[in-house]
Amino acid sequence: MASVVRALLDWLRSLFFKTELELTLVGLQNSGKTTLVNVIASGQFTEDMIPTVGFNMRKVTKGNVTMKLWDIGGQPRFRNMWERYCRGVNAIVFVLDSADLEKLEAAKNELKSLLDKPQLSNIPVLVLGNKNDLPEALSVEEIIEQMNLKSINNREVSCYSISAKNQVNIDITLQWLIKKGKGSK
Amino acid sequence: MNTAKKDEDSGDLGIFYHLDKTTVLQEARVFNDSPISPRKCRLLLTKIVYLLHLGETMATQEATELFFSVTKLFQSKDIALRQMVYLVIKELSTVAEDVIMVTSSLMKDMQPKSELTYRANAIRALCKIIDASMLPSVERFLKAAIVDKTPSISSAALVSSYHLFPAGKEVIKRWANEVHEAINCKPPSLTSSASSYLTSFSSNTSSYGNTVSTSNISQYHALGLLYLIRQHDRMAVTKLIQQLAGTGRNSYGGGSVLRSSFAYCLLIRFAAKILDEDPNSRQPMYELLEGWLRHKSDIVNFEAAKAICNIKNTTRKELNPAISVLQLFLSSPKPTLRFAAIRTLNKLAMTQPAAVQPCNVDMENLITDQNRSVATFAITTLLKTGNEASVDRLMKQISGFMSEISDEFKVIVVDAIRSLCLKFPSKQAVMLSFLSGVLRDEGGYEFKRAVVEAIFDLVKYIPECKEAALAHLCEFIEDCEFTKLSVRVLHLLGVEGPKTSTPTKYIRYIYNRVILENSIVRAAAISALAKFGVSVPDAAVKKSIKVLITRCLDDNDDEVRDRATFFLKIMEDGENAEKYIKDDATYSLGVLERQLVQYVSSPDSTSKPFDISSVPLITKAQAEAESLRERSTDLASVQTIGTTTSVLPGPTVTPTVAADRNVTPTPNVDQQQLYAQQLEKVPEIAAFGHLFNSSTKPVELTESETEYVVGCVKHMFNEHVIFQFNINNTLNDKVLENVSVGMTPESEDGSLEELFTISAAKIPYDQTVSVYVAFKKLDTSEPILATFSNTLKFIIKDVEDVELVTGDYVLPTYVSDFQSAWDKLGEDGQVVETFALTAMSSLRAACTEIIDLLGMSPVENTGTPQSNSVHTLLLSGTFLGGVKVLAKGRMSFASSTGVTMELSVRSSDEKISQVVIRSIA
Repeated sequence: MASVVRALLDWLRSLFFKTELELTLVGLQNSGKTTLVNVIASGQFTEDMIPTVGFNMRKVTKGNVTMKLWDIGGQPRFRNMWERYCRGVNAIVFVLDSADLEKLEAAKNELKSLLDKPQLSNIPVLVLGNKNDLPEALSVEEIIEQMNLKSINNREVSCYSISAKNQVNIDITLQWLIKKGKGSK
Repeated sequence: MNTAKKDEDSGDLGIFYHLDKTTVLQEARVFNDSPISPRKCRLLLTKIVYLLHLGETMATQEATELFFSVTKLFQSKDIALRQMVYLVIKELSTVAEDVIMVTSSLMKDMQPKSELTYRANAIRALCKIIDASMLPSVERFLKAAIVDKTPSISSAALVSSYHLFPAGKEVIKRWANEVHEAINCKPPSLTSSASSYLTSFSSNTSSYGNTVSTSNISQYHALGLLYLIRQHDRMAVTKLIQQLAGTGRNSYGGGSVLRSSFAYCLLIRFAAKILDEDPNSRQPMYELLEGWLRHKSDIVNFEAAKAICNIKNTTRKELNPAISVLQLFLSSPKPTLRFAAIRTLNKLAMTQPAAVQPCNVDMENLITDQNRSVATFAITTLLKTGNEASVDRLMKQISGFMSEISDEFKVIVVDAIRSLCLKFPSKQAVMLSFLSGVLRDEGGYEFKRAVVEAIFDLVKYIPECKEAALAHLCEFIEDCEFTKLSVRVLHLLGVEGPKTSTPTKYIRYIYNRVILENSIVRAAAISALAKFGVSVPDAAVKKSIKVLITRCLDDNDDEVRDRATFFLKIMEDGENAEKYIKDDATYSLGVLERQLVQYVSSPDSTSKPFDISSVPLITKAQAEAESLRERSTDLASVQTIGTTTSVLPGPTVTPTVAADRNVTPTPNVDQQQLYAQQLEKVPEIAAFGHLFNSSTKPVELTESETEYVVGCVKHMFNEHVIFQFNINNTLNDKVLENVSVGMTPESEDGSLEELFTISAAKIPYDQTVSVYVAFKKLDTSEPILATFSNTLKFIIKDVEDVELVTGDYVLPTYVSDFQSAWDKLGEDGQVVETFALTAMSSLRAACTEIIDLLGMSPVENTGTPQSNSVHTLLLSGTFLGGVKVLAKGRMSFASSTGVTMELSVRSSDEKISQVVIRSIA
């Protein structure tokens, strides 16, 4: 009986305090999007992943926040479909392999062309420099500099340097994301 | 509860009543709502599927938009919604772009740890969206799914693989072991029932939570796929059949491997195919089929009986067990069984009426069957098997319900009656009155055509009823809504009318058409009138015809005017009239068309007239035989209506099995046309100009069981010879590369110069590729006879010799009047020689051999001797360059000396006559 009451209470509380949050993860292939989703969802880090063909959808509940994560494949053939999944979300998360300097230029161009889409104006962007456990990884300042993030002025842009492997800065990333959910409601 | 459900149903139906694509597409916005409502979305998805099934089409753009909205629904875990999502994805997979987008999501859903309902459906959807390049990445999952314990998952994987097979043969072939395992797997229901028995029924099978299929359908799917993988390996298929049949037979009902009746049906079809193709396995396969007649399932018994009935050249003894099974089915309480049995017997009765006779009593009972289709088949079968006495009664029965059956069945009835007329000519009066009766009934074109053709046959084969039949046809065209039929009837009236006792009777009917009909019929009527004008000897009739035709000179249609003018002119001129109106010979239309096309496209068409002599002449009788052949194949296809009510669900397996029936031999002319088209595609060969003649049958240069099968076709051009080698690679894991054929003339007299060889870059397994070798004839004045030894280059392999014989230089042509043509050529170019053909065992064999050697066409029905002792063979042909050649062979046969023949050959050129006669020696 007590458990029924508690369940009922939980349900009522969730009705009032639950925040739903929709996020889309994009970025070039092999930047660690699916890995990051796994880490957020289950805290598990897996080394070898297969490339995402299309997209993965994950629902993650943290406290009273439910996050819908759209994890879109980063291979070139999927890039023109990013936009479809970014429309109307609370935030776009752009994941970057901060240790792969060769692809930085391509990443910059993809981000720019994505943010140029009129449909996506005003949606906050979080740029995550993943893999900062690797020695040659760029620092936050370098990323901001290299990706030319200062030039984006029509929306809120943030940048963190994280490591999905060592779970570095995952917590502040989550906080930032949850804040977006609360801010918009 | 019940009423509530009913209300809901009717409410739902209301929603689907006036659906509009645009509205539905607009409503698709609900897919983007947050949070989504599974109930709303599911309803909308149902509407979309419903619309698509009504035949609504979507533009790529629309479909793509919709598809991406649908993918958003993967966020919901509602099972019912997800099922609809899979369905819609499958529907849209062919229209929308970038459907590959859902690959990852579907792959996640088919993982072993996900929901059971998801898994099977995800597999089916996945196979619709991936292509061959993606196959390796899902291979592991599909292989695991094939051997999954849950039948729905196993089936889904098997069926998906079956559909993917054409795209990914190589990958799927590697799964044969898994598929085999799927056939052999124990049914889950068996283990569960066993366990429940052990625990004294305490545990309920429904505690499984998911429905357990007991149909064993996955065995059927597995067998279909396994056959697809092995189909080109006859040994393997035979082994498979024997393996599965063997265990099945020894332990009926027990732990036999195959439990699905459908799988047995499939096995029967494979066995029937093997039996058909391989004479050596006829006996063992027949024994298996015979054994299946006693299987416990009806459908298996029926399939086996049908397979036995379809065997080519069956004996009565082989047929009997199958017929007794079908006979039993005839009195079954199930209408489907009765229908299936009677339909099979009906088909069999066309070829083996005597074998079906024992069932007559049972079929009599079916005449009054409630199901009209069964009754129709019963009557038409009885018409074929019954005796003359029962015909009247049956005809009465049929007339009773002709108005109640559909056109297709009416056609079947009419065809049955048509063949009956020819079988019992004395019954023609009853038949004719029946036919004329149904001719007056309502009916579509196909039905009316069948009736008219049946009457045509009566006119042709039963002289006694000709006049009555023609009268009925006249009456028919008075009120005929089908122009095509009117034209045919008018033509027949023109041909047959003048030969009757009172030709004037028909003229009125024909002229009525001129007054009342559209221009096509009017033109046909004019032609028919003209035939009367030429053929009827009575001068008064001629005069009236002229008057009638003259009236048409100012018709408002130019075709009608042209014909009227033309025929008036011709009737003035007696000789031309005979030639143009009563001529018995016609051109082979297929060849004429091909040559005209070639003539029009060739650059010198403006300067050179078209050479009509290169088109072979055939008799009207031959042309008729050709159209008869076409018609009989039509008939065969009509007879198989109802095959679409196929009882096998799941994939439509083995098109190859079904398609092999009813194959008619392609006539010679068509074959040559095909060759010409093939050759024209090769630019080097196209430059040689007009193809004179091709050897009719490819000469097989290898044994049929070798690694590569080589056949040779010879093509003769004015100045060139081309040898076309058709090489088929039968090595299933090898590709032949850079294949060419080296030809060496055995006598080195330098009369043929090799120009070029067109080699094949590669020949994959089970494909036939042509390699060409071209020679130039250096001396065109005289035919060159030569023998070549050939080598297939890639791996040197000796194949048999090809001979260039006289027959290759002669085109069979037809002459309508041999004697006058013979006299016209005179004795100048005549060569006579006498041969003793001791090796020939009969005149018939000698004729066949000589026709074959000379490559000429027999005329005046002299191709097959009537007598056993003496015969005169008349032959006609055209030699390369358009020279007419005629031959007359007078032969006699005595068992002691064989065939003795005096052969005279005439042509305008004695040298050619010499050459032709030499080909015998």
